[in-house]
Amino acid sequence: MAMAMVRSGLRTALRGGSRAPAQPKRNFSSSGHHDDAYETAKWEKITYVGIVGCTIFAIYNLSKGHPHYDEPPAYPYLHIRNKEFPWGPDGLFETKNHH
Amino acid sequence: MIESQRHSYHLVDPSPWPISGSLGALATTVGGVMYMHSFQGGATLLSLGIIFILYTMFVWWRDVLRESTLEGHHTKVVQLGLRYGFLLFIVSEVMFFFAFFWAFFHSSLAPTVEIGGIWPPKGIGVLDPWEIPFLNTLILLSSGAAVTWAHHAILAGKEKRAVYALVATVLLALVFTGFQGMEYYQAPFTISDSIYGSTFFLATGFHGFHVIIGTLFLIICGIRQYLGHLTKEHHVGFEAAAWYWHFVDVVWLFLFVSIYWWGGI
Repeated sequence: MAMAMVRSGLRTALRGGSRAPAQPKRNFSSSGHHDDAYETAKWEKITYVGIVGCTIFAIYNLSKGHPHYDEPPAYPYLHIRNKEFPWGPDGLFETKNHH
Repeated sequence: MIESQRHSYHLVDPSPWPISGSLGALATTVGGVMYMHSFQGGATLLSLGIIFILYTMFVWWRDVLRESTLEGHHTKVVQLGLRYGFLLFIVSEVMFFFAFFWAFFHSSLAPTVEIGGIWPPKGIGVLDPWEIPFLNTLILLSSGAAVTWAHHAILAGKEKRAVYALVATVLLALVFTGFQGMEYYQAPFTISDSIYGSTFFLATGFHGFHVIIGTLFLIICGIRQYLGHLTKEHHVGFEAAAWYWHFVDVVWLFLFVSIYWWGGI
């Protein structure tokens, strides 16, 4: 039963959603189904809420500054170097921490 | 469509792009190995191979757009085949990331004695998941909402709104990539710092690469929407981009929960 539902859902999605029914369905105002114009406006609002939330959190986050990490002891499993890269001993973007 | 054709399938014309793409892949692989082993001419062959692949991608997809948008070969049944194909591609991508999660859990669930028997390994300072990573989670979720906004706008025939929505999606995607770049730059560990660094940068790096691919895909969709290529009834390219974007989003959620959060405790 569940498999059949998943399969029919997948088939509907692959056929481009349930947008083209054989007979046009009537939309009742109480049926809970909304048209695409309504959905567009709804998701536009959700996007704006998301952007505002992200901006506030970003400002809060960046104003805190980033923590300072102490150089760890030279454990053998850190800073592994087996052979030289074509451009030199260090990775292209990793010369900052280990000298 | 050709008038004599009595079926709705798309029989493609002969094309040079499969063989040119294959040769590009061969040159990239051989050149990459040569470069990494400091052979003479390795860098040249590698660059040539990459240029060849990028060129093939451009002209092949240009041809597909001409066949679909201008020549009308993508009938309903062809569209169904394209959707199946893209869905299978995403399934293969899931398996690709499954392997990296396997490597991560293999290494973190039973940390070896060589790294101190703990996870994260002794000496590794981890990133705080509730700072930039959580912000990036919110950004990707908002971007997912924006692509849904774009989808409904296309279905509602609101062409301008759809372009705005795609611009919002792409901008959020670029901000995500920017924060990831900043986080990488400030990270106290590198890919060569123990199995932690290896699994972390392999998984998050390939995710970042997929975010960039998805961003390019969405940019192309935005341009095509602006040019009026996408209609209410026919917008398979956009659907594929939206599916891909949601896939990238879901992979991030798994990365966030397992590698950043659980793996950092």
